[in-house]
Amino acid sequence: MITFQDVTIKYDDFTAVKNLNFEVKDGEFFTFLGPSGCGKTTTLRSLVGLIQPTSGEIYLDDKDITNLPTEKRDIKMVFQSYALFPTMTVYENIAFGLKVKKVEKAMIKQKVADIAKKVDLAAEQLAKKVSELSGGQQQRVAIARALVNQPNILVLDEPLSNLDAKLRVQLRNELKSLQKNFGITTVYVTHDQEEALTLSDRIAVFNKGEIEQIGTPEEIYEQSNSEFVCNFIGENNNITKLVTNHPERFDRLNLEENNAFYSRIEKLKISLFGQTYPLVEDELSFTGKIIDSEYYGIYTKYSIKVEDTVVRAVLKEKLSLGTDQNEKVQVILSQQHILQYK
Amino acid sequence: MMGKGMKYAILLTGLFVVLVLAACSNGSSANTDGTETANADSKSTETKNTDSETASETTNSEEKLIVYTNSNGDGRGEWIVEEAKNAGFNIEIVGAGGGDATNRLISEKANPVADVVFGLNHMFFEQLQAEEVLTPYEPAWASEIEEGINDPENYYHGLVKQALVLSYNPEFVNEADAPENYLDLANNEEFAGIYQARDDLGSATAKVIVASILAQFEDTNGELGISDEGWETIARYYENGVQIPEGEDYFTIFASGDAPIGTMISGELAAKQEQYGTEPAFLHPEVGTPQVVESIAIVDGTEQLELAQEFVDWYGSAEVQGAFAAEFNAMPANLEAQDQVTDFQKEIFADVKAQDIDWAFVTENIDAWVEKLELEIF
Amino acid sequence: MDTLKNRWNKWNPVTILLSFFIIWFVFAFLVFPNVNTIYETFFGTGTFSLEPVEKLLRSDRAVQSVLNSILLAIILVFTVNIVGISLVLFTNYFDIKGASILKLSYFSTLVYGGVALNLGYKLVYGKNSPLTDFLTQINPNWDGNWFSGLFAVGFVMTFACTSNHMLFLSSALRNVDYQTIEAAKNLGASQITILKNVVLPTLKPTLFALTIITFLTGLSATSAPLVFGGKEFETITPMILTFANSSSSKDLATVLALVLGIVTIIVLTFMLRSEQKGNYISISKTKTTLVKQKINNKTVNILVHIIAYILFIIYTMPVLAIIIYSFTDAMAISSGFITWDSFTIDNYLLTFSSLEAVRPYLISLGYGFAGSFLVVAFCLLCAYLMKKYNNRLTRTLDFMLMIPWFLPSTLIAVGLTVTFNTNQWVVLNQVFTGTLWLLLIGYIIVNIPFTLRITKSTFFGINQEIEDAAKNLGANAFYTFIKVLLPIILPSIMGIYSLNFIGILPDYDLTVFLYHPLYEPLGITIMNATGNSASADTKALNLVYTVILVILNTMILTAVYGNLRFRKRKKV
Repeated sequence: MITFQDVTIKYDDFTAVKNLNFEVKDGEFFTFLGPSGCGKTTTLRSLVGLIQPTSGEIYLDDKDITNLPTEKRDIKMVFQSYALFPTMTVYENIAFGLKVKKVEKAMIKQKVADIAKKVDLAAEQLAKKVSELSGGQQQRVAIARALVNQPNILVLDEPLSNLDAKLRVQLRNELKSLQKNFGITTVYVTHDQEEALTLSDRIAVFNKGEIEQIGTPEEIYEQSNSEFVCNFIGENNNITKLVTNHPERFDRLNLEENNAFYSRIEKLKISLFGQTYPLVEDELSFTGKIIDSEYYGIYTKYSIKVEDTVVRAVLKEKLSLGTDQNEKVQVILSQQHILQYK
Repeated sequence: MMGKGMKYAILLTGLFVVLVLAACSNGSSANTDGTETANADSKSTETKNTDSETASETTNSEEKLIVYTNSNGDGRGEWIVEEAKNAGFNIEIVGAGGGDATNRLISEKANPVADVVFGLNHMFFEQLQAEEVLTPYEPAWASEIEEGINDPENYYHGLVKQALVLSYNPEFVNEADAPENYLDLANNEEFAGIYQARDDLGSATAKVIVASILAQFEDTNGELGISDEGWETIARYYENGVQIPEGEDYFTIFASGDAPIGTMISGELAAKQEQYGTEPAFLHPEVGTPQVVESIAIVDGTEQLELAQEFVDWYGSAEVQGAFAAEFNAMPANLEAQDQVTDFQKEIFADVKAQDIDWAFVTENIDAWVEKLELEIF
Repeated sequence: MDTLKNRWNKWNPVTILLSFFIIWFVFAFLVFPNVNTIYETFFGTGTFSLEPVEKLLRSDRAVQSVLNSILLAIILVFTVNIVGISLVLFTNYFDIKGASILKLSYFSTLVYGGVALNLGYKLVYGKNSPLTDFLTQINPNWDGNWFSGLFAVGFVMTFACTSNHMLFLSSALRNVDYQTIEAAKNLGASQITILKNVVLPTLKPTLFALTIITFLTGLSATSAPLVFGGKEFETITPMILTFANSSSSKDLATVLALVLGIVTIIVLTFMLRSEQKGNYISISKTKTTLVKQKINNKTVNILVHIIAYILFIIYTMPVLAIIIYSFTDAMAISSGFITWDSFTIDNYLLTFSSLEAVRPYLISLGYGFAGSFLVVAFCLLCAYLMKKYNNRLTRTLDFMLMIPWFLPSTLIAVGLTVTFNTNQWVVLNQVFTGTLWLLLIGYIIVNIPFTLRITKSTFFGINQEIEDAAKNLGANAFYTFIKVLLPIILPSIMGIYSLNFIGILPDYDLTVFLYHPLYEPLGITIMNATGNSASADTKALNLVYTVILVILNTMILTAVYGNLRFRKRKKV
């Protein structure tokens, strides 16, 4: 178990992270999520031991590791650029950590072969120079290089950011299954919310050097506790204007304390003109007009003008637009799904 | 961005300098043309060429003579330029060592820069003559020169005599222990490590000493005209002698006692004595003391032949050489200038008997000797 | 479309014209004069003769000199690399206290070299130096001439030849992806393992190039063996100089130079082959800048600091000695003993007693500017063509342009004077001897190989996509070169420009054969002022000239590098 206690990290007079407190449980896939420059990588590097916190402590299973150098920590890292050694072969790269530990040669050979198999690297690729590998293969080498040491904790710093979209999805799945198979505690840094949501057991959302929220993907998504988290994750309709224009209709919201209101786009329902929709207790209906659409294959995203607010909603079926009949719709808002902030 | 300005600045400077160099060398390429026409044609084209050249260079409006010499050190160069100016000559001195000047003249043969060369000894002049660098001219004062010094074919004529006097430093060597001659140095173990054996065979002095030793062993059947004994002797001479360290002066180690026996050059001696405060004692070997003569000659292909001839006539005259001798403590070859010789020089030359060296034989073989010494003996 | 474009490029009249110019230049000035000299050597009498070779083989001294040169070159490869790598690590990799001051002294070899540098070492370690006096005082049996022979030559040259390490190895080190160091650390590697297995292998290509240059420098060492070698350690180049100066022995000089050339070719071929094996391609797309490493082991840290500061002392003393002694009288310079009364500025007054004294500086500056400008421009052109058209012709060109590395500059000079002192059809019957051009051509020739290597490696380091992008946006080849490529390679180009410049300023070996007698360059002036024929306080004059050169060179380097550093910071 990793524990961060009041960790603050400063560079000269710039505070990169302040007063961090959180725990990562054993075997958990834990993600630092946030925009670039929010302090997530800095936090990660302090966990790995590449930088020292200015104040506060980091514990690993109740052992204070704050000042332990990185080579003494059993936390292995996969770097954003993979940091593969360009002068060595794939085999030498993977074997590097074992060699440093002076593991027997035969043993190293065995372990490298095993791990290569697990990360799906063919035997003939082991003899290649790292520059001869594709991006995906390089990433697997980087992961294998870390995993072969059987670390307590694996740490990954945006390992997918240099890859193309398809490969990214594929490797994301591989990563998840690898983590499951190894059962290894993993700390993952990303700015990609989709990655965070799909991979993580728990997510910590960073903003300006502080953690805004820690929780499971569902908690983070469904119950974002700050406007920042809400906006950073998923797609939203800002309906503040709509709410303030019709305070009497939004009777279930706390209008006195809150002044920002959002609704996730998939929570909006659309009823086509002429159809009748039976409203449930907390649902409200507004009339609107479709002004734009984006076709995604699985679904279509529509922009609808309701009064002077444009909201977006998704529909599985594609409408044929162009007629007044098709463009006029009822937008149904469910009050319990509206996120409200001060 | 800042770098941009700098980039252009460098580009511009580069181009500018190339242009300037191009402009400057126009003068010299005009020389080439000048040479060709001057040889074939009259003097009028020649003057025109020089006119255009001097116009592009701003220094002088008169015709300028380029003079190569190795005898410009210690203020000699300035003195000559000044005196020449008073006599109506505009000269520019280019100083270089004897070997360098000779090499340069030979390599510039097809496009000569120099008009006159003087100060080199006759070994270098023999070489220049053989390479057809010189043009013959008999100066007005040729008959005033000591016999046997001038080139019989009038390619070069003597100016200053130098005696290379074997000497010892009386502060370190007793008169009784002094050697008799170069052979004595080589053959007598007691001199090992205390005499100078100059191995800078590019210099005229070292060459003359080698010639002085080897000429005593002339043997038509021997290697390069020298008997085996001669080669053994000179090998011993160099083995037992002290070489002058790179960058040091022979007089320094003579005065300091590191090598208190060595060869003094008569023309330099006065200045050296004054600088170091050491007075050498001279040795007078029976076989004689080698003497060299610094000469003067006109470079073949000069565009200003007449002017060069006038300059030679003037510079070698008893008057000028006498003044030079008085000023710089030299021994003129011009007999009529000898009344101006300093007592110091008179004293040196009074007891010196010239070694009888067959210079034709030496000139013919000296390069091969030097090569053999460099390769096999050092 | 692509083939069409290529075809158009192939027939581009400018390219053709430039190619012809290059071919002509290489033939006229690199091949023709040297082949001419070699031909004269073996066929001089009309028939093929191996007499010069036999002569040399009979001479123990000549054979020994060749062996000595090779020995020196091999020793230097080790010592220079060890010292050079240490310097670079101390200034760029390890966290050493006072690194900026250390850097200043380690860079000192850039601003003075050759004769001046030897003078500095002589003042510090020579016979009459305070150090030798001190040694003889504690040990009366100490030999006053202790600093001579192979040891002294090796010592001086080891510390003199690290300039290229400081320049090129430093920049290679700065290009190491810092994440790889962190990764190794994270994988548990100790500092020494990281250095040995991660950092140094990355520097291997640069080290190979530097090793070649060091070997060549050792092989053709001239001034250090002359000053410090003494009788017991003679090398080949001074011998070549001696023979090249005598018209009848020029054939011996040629043969000796050929021996040097052959050794060089063998070594180069061997090295190039192993260089290809050691090559690698950097794969990191996002590089992080190097952070200086604090040495964890306390003892090692102290030891490294001590070594760094010993090197500091070794590098600083000669420069300091030159500067201090340049302000003292002749007595102090020759005895090594300085009192308060010794200090004077007479040396400076003497040097600049007339305006004429400034002339050689101006002439050498002119040659320096023009020479290095032209050689850089020429090499840029060649490198560009080589990158663009990799065919047999450009590969031959690449090899041809290495010719000046195979031959000592003295022989190149002799070849030039001998060849161009008559009308040669190859240069349209122009005679170059006795003109200003000959020396300029000489400077260009001898600086080609090194300049080409640097420009080539810089050029080949540029991402091809950048050039393609510029062309895609409608820029023509020339515009792309000036606006896009040149700014990228400018830092390296300026570096090599200033190195050439600094090399040209005080040159003597080449200059003495080629200069126009009415335009005397600095090297000649210094030699004349300090040679044996001048009896005045020649050493003092030499010191003054050296100090002024040091100041000049420092100004040039700070102008170039200071400016570039500023640029870089702005970019970040």
